[in-house]
Amino acid sequence: MTKPGQDSFLLFCKIVQVISESRGTVRKTDIFADYLSGLGNTSDIDRAVRFAGEGAFSSVSGKRASIGSRTVALCAAEFCNIDYDIVFKACRTATGSASETIEKLMDNIPEAREKRTPSALSLAQVEELFIQLEKERKRDAKQALLVRAWEQMTSTEIKYFIRVMGQGSLRIGFEAKSIINAVSKAFSSDTEAVRYAHMITGSLGEAAVLSFENRLHTATFKLFQPVAFMLASPIESRSVDHITDYIAEEKFDGMRCQIHAQGDTVMLYSRDLNEITNSFPEVVAFFKQKSLPGVVLDGELCVFTDNTIQPFQLLQKRMGVKKPSPKMTGEYPVVFIAYDILYNDDEPLFEKSLINRREILKSFCDTFGIMRSRQFEVKSREQVEDMFDRALAHGNEGLMLKHKQSTYEYGQRRKSWLKVKKPGGSIDTVIMYAHAGSGKRGGTYSDFTLGVSVSEDDRYEEEFIPIGKAYGGYTDVELKRLNKEMKKLIVDRFGPTYSLKPGIVVELEFDDIQVNKRTKAGYTLRFPRFKAIRWDLAPSDADTLMDVEQLYNKKLHDDRKPQSEHQSFIGI
Amino acid sequence: MLNYTLERNHGIILPNQNIGLDVSGDVARHVFVSHAHADHLPRDRYIHVYATQATARLMRARGFKGDVTELDFESPLELENARVTLYPAGHILGSAMVGIESDEGHTLYTGDYKTPPSPVTEGFSRPESVDYFITEATFPLPIYKWQPHEELFAEMREFAFKALKEGFTPVFLCYNLGKAQEVMHGLAPLGFTQQIHGAGYELCKIYDELGYDIGKFEPYSRDTVSDNRILITPSSSLDQPMLRNLKRKRVAYVSGWATHESRRTQLTIDKLFPLSDHIDFFELLDLCEALNPKMVYITHTPNPRVVSHYLSEKGIASRPLNMEGFDDD
Repeated sequence: MTKPGQDSFLLFCKIVQVISESRGTVRKTDIFADYLSGLGNTSDIDRAVRFAGEGAFSSVSGKRASIGSRTVALCAAEFCNIDYDIVFKACRTATGSASETIEKLMDNIPEAREKRTPSALSLAQVEELFIQLEKERKRDAKQALLVRAWEQMTSTEIKYFIRVMGQGSLRIGFEAKSIINAVSKAFSSDTEAVRYAHMITGSLGEAAVLSFENRLHTATFKLFQPVAFMLASPIESRSVDHITDYIAEEKFDGMRCQIHAQGDTVMLYSRDLNEITNSFPEVVAFFKQKSLPGVVLDGELCVFTDNTIQPFQLLQKRMGVKKPSPKMTGEYPVVFIAYDILYNDDEPLFEKSLINRREILKSFCDTFGIMRSRQFEVKSREQVEDMFDRALAHGNEGLMLKHKQSTYEYGQRRKSWLKVKKPGGSIDTVIMYAHAGSGKRGGTYSDFTLGVSVSEDDRYEEEFIPIGKAYGGYTDVELKRLNKEMKKLIVDRFGPTYSLKPGIVVELEFDDIQVNKRTKAGYTLRFPRFKAIRWDLAPSDADTLMDVEQLYNKKLHDDRKPQSEHQSFIGI
Repeated sequence: MLNYTLERNHGIILPNQNIGLDVSGDVARHVFVSHAHADHLPRDRYIHVYATQATARLMRARGFKGDVTELDFESPLELENARVTLYPAGHILGSAMVGIESDEGHTLYTGDYKTPPSPVTEGFSRPESVDYFITEATFPLPIYKWQPHEELFAEMREFAFKALKEGFTPVFLCYNLGKAQEVMHGLAPLGFTQQIHGAGYELCKIYDELGYDIGKFEPYSRDTVSDNRILITPSSSLDQPMLRNLKRKRVAYVSGWATHESRRTQLTIDKLFPLSDHIDFFELLDLCEALNPKMVYITHTPNPRVVSHYLSEKGIASRPLNMEGFDDD
């Protein structure tokens, strides 16, 4: 039985606040474990762990409260009887966090205090509020529900209610790994078993319940329930002792995908575990016609024509299109290239080593005629460079190095998989706008809109137009200097944004250039980040939009080697 | 309309009265210093100024060499074109607001101020009403509302006591003039000796001599700091060897800016105490209303817009005075 009051949402919030104020993962873990062990029933344990680590809904449920941060902020401004544009935005800029701002306003503004009568909601009642929000489709009605919820809460409850509603981490320095440790400590279960149950079920709350009920052994993988993808680290970020412990594959410039298939049921999942089955009917048809025994494959979707892997830019035309026309699938046909197998013959394969899984994948793909990536033994670092060049010649992004003995580390980014990539390029840009940072960068200007020159471009009247927004790649010291120097360049201010005179030149590195008709420049950069702040350059040294266009065209029309020799994958 | 000129990034000049308020040098015949924080002191150390007695002592301790005419609170000084009165500002020891009465009307310049006042100051008082109100607004948003001093002091004592009991040195990061002595006053009832780093020690002596209870204190010493002492030091020492070498410590950051949760990760500290020596947003609005001025001039602020917005809803006209120097607290 849960002790009286132990199941209150307020207590949960207080615990979470204490965790956020505590340093060290051991201390944080102990506090949460102690709290969990006071909860006496499965539903409350599920809720508490889910709220702390997953959000309002289980991350595999596909459910969301679906209420935008702007809607929440507008609603809070109205609740507190303050002007959204003048007052709320300024407060959010100062704190760097909407939920923290709302907490403080709810406390400080007399009208907001008067409207509220905290009524010690239970975890179950708060869950019910989330469910109502999820079911409600209309924005007005959602806002009314929010107001009714807040009327019953303290300011701390409101802050965490908003964060839990946003799904994902609570941003208190207490992530999945620590939550798993706390669960295993609270219910005296084996940490590895809790971790495994989390992977299999995809839900921290579910894993906690199994742990509490001593049923971790029953955690079994189910087909058509996606598993978090294993991720790769950039090779630069890790030290590699024995390169020969790794095998190499070419890194396809496509879209990561998990396929679950059994007979004529086929489902596709994207990296964020959303279902994307209907977007790629030709892939679904291909797998249906094979009538496979139950299987889960991890791999990449790529546009493939003329025996050649086509640029990511062409695949992009297919992404996000829910029901592509036959014309579209004809023009940009997509194939799935497998590189890992996670389930086969009613057996999960995560715990098997990569070479083991690879053997199974090879025989499975060859039996059913499914494309799979080629793998290469790594003999030396020099050979890695040769393979890297060949991958680029195929139009691929680079190489993946995978440790032969590694298990499938779902949802984790460690050094078992390494990616070897080359930056797409870099251009010299000027800072046009500075935006207030959020989260731990609250209170500084840490996000920057960068522009390229169009002063001699007949299509534009301006001197500079935006090409991308970057919020990383600089050091703390550089950021401090940027914040100081930009003060001299301020022309105007719109809420959390300063408009700046061209004055600071930044060498901007990016992975790729994409056409984007909705932007002024017509192009966007993929993963733009600071490479260097060029204090030595003047705005007149900045690159032009024409330079960007040239780079794009070069990438698009660069010769790509077809898959006739030195193939990237097998089974065409 | 008030007749004034701004001295760039520093003080204000009232040309018709030949008065300079917190200016950098000899730019007016009569120069007034509101309090002894660096951004309000003249850069020229050899000029003649008017200030309160405590401010004069603190200024000299911080290196001012000029001539100071010491004024008592609330006893007017008659000048050729104005009558000037200093009011206790409640910000730090000696801090004063400057009231100027002339043919042009009654002007009140706040310097930095706090009401309810800090317990280690001469308190807070003000004229009934003024025509022109020149106010700082370091914390100009409704997210800033201070808890009472006693509440925060109690929390600070609990933090320090618990740390000491568990074998850690409690460290309070705070500005060494004003905030440091306020914190020491709050911690004094615990009875532990407080060590203060660097220049702060000389300033503490002045507080002590003027009769303010800031407990037992001594200069920082590496040899004894871990010996049941509380350490008071500015936040700039966070990445200096003194603190890096102190292994068993619990660090608290004491500032109005501690309102922001982001300061926790930015500074890597254990506890935030939002204790400010500036007026909060709500007190500021109430005060403006009570003084009922023709015009409020807002200085020393990161954002004058929100205050102006609220004042205009109350029917009070306001405008920003552009000056910098709102970062210290």
